Amino acid sequence: MRTSEYVKQQQPVNMAGVGFRRWAQALSKGKGSGISALLSGCRAASGLSKDSLPGPYPKTPEERAAAAKKYNMRVEDYEPYPDNGEGFGDYPKLPERSQQERDPWYQWDHPDLRRNWGEPMHWDFDMYIRNRVDTSPSPVPWSTMCKQLFGFIGFMLFMFYVGEKFPAYQPVAPKQYPFNDLHLEKGGDPEKQAEEVKHYEI
Amino acid sequence: MADYREAPLATRPKTLDPNEYFNLSPEQRRAEEARGAVRANLKRQYQLQLNNPHRKELIEDPALTRWVYARANPYAHFRPTNKTSLLGAMFGVVPLFALYYIFKTDRDRKEEQIKAGTLERKFSLSS
Repeated sequence: MRTSEYVKQQQPVNMAGVGFRRWAQALSKGKGSGISALLSGCRAASGLSKDSLPGPYPKTPEERAAAAKKYNMRVEDYEPYPDNGEGFGDYPKLPERSQQERDPWYQWDHPDLRRNWGEPMHWDFDMYIRNRVDTSPSPVPWSTMCKQLFGFIGFMLFMFYVGEKFPAYQPVAPKQYPFNDLHLEKGGDPEKQAEEVKHYEI
Repeated sequence: MADYREAPLATRPKTLDPNEYFNLSPEQRRAEEARGAVRANLKRQYQLQLNNPHRKELIEDPALTRWVYARANPYAHFRPTNKTSLLGAMFGVVPLFALYYIFKTDRDRKEEQIKAGTLERKFSLSS
């Protein structure tokens, strides 16, 4: 193991082997048991520290103030989701408004998302992007829109059902052939007189 | 438009919002100023990083990291309550048994009809 660090000439070192050896050594000296011993007990130092990641529901006012600061919000504005075990923790409850509602003329840091850097994201942010759910004011009241859409669909469904029940098409009859139902063309005897077929009545 | 009614997916337009015209006390103005100060600070941080000529890496957004972490780890704060157990049962357990039962009975009925010779195979799409 040590020799690989002091190698001067160009000898290829199998880094996977090095890593595996170190992991096996840590495992044998490790204090954990079971699955937790197999997984690494420490996180990488890159990325956010534990106190700037979301945590459990804040119970004391100090915890609330710390959480508000963590999420870059004012303490008065910060409101966590109610603590009913649904997995939100201390994540803030932001107004349910889509990104389409935001000012299109303001200089956002990310113009397509209409969001600034560092701004707390809504829990359902990926639902409220401009390609998806839109909560902006509707030009016609919602009830009117519902009535028009479902009224039209219901009417069309009803009419199609009625059309299935009572079909209406041009009157049809079996095809009528001349020359006594094509007696000669169908391979009948020329000498034998075919039976008279009458398709009309005068 | 004065009788505009809100809906869950249709908010009130800003020009019809009474808060724009009536609730303009000094406390609210101060609150708006404080929010603006927070926003300006974040903007400043972002612009410093953006225009830094020595920057070679991507600008990391801690709010995005927090959002991803929160969405990926709900079970750390999960607690079995009446509501969560009911939802879990309704979406996870009931469809399993219900769909099995529905498909099984439908297929068995069709098999009986085929064996008895009563199955009517129509070309129509609508039935």
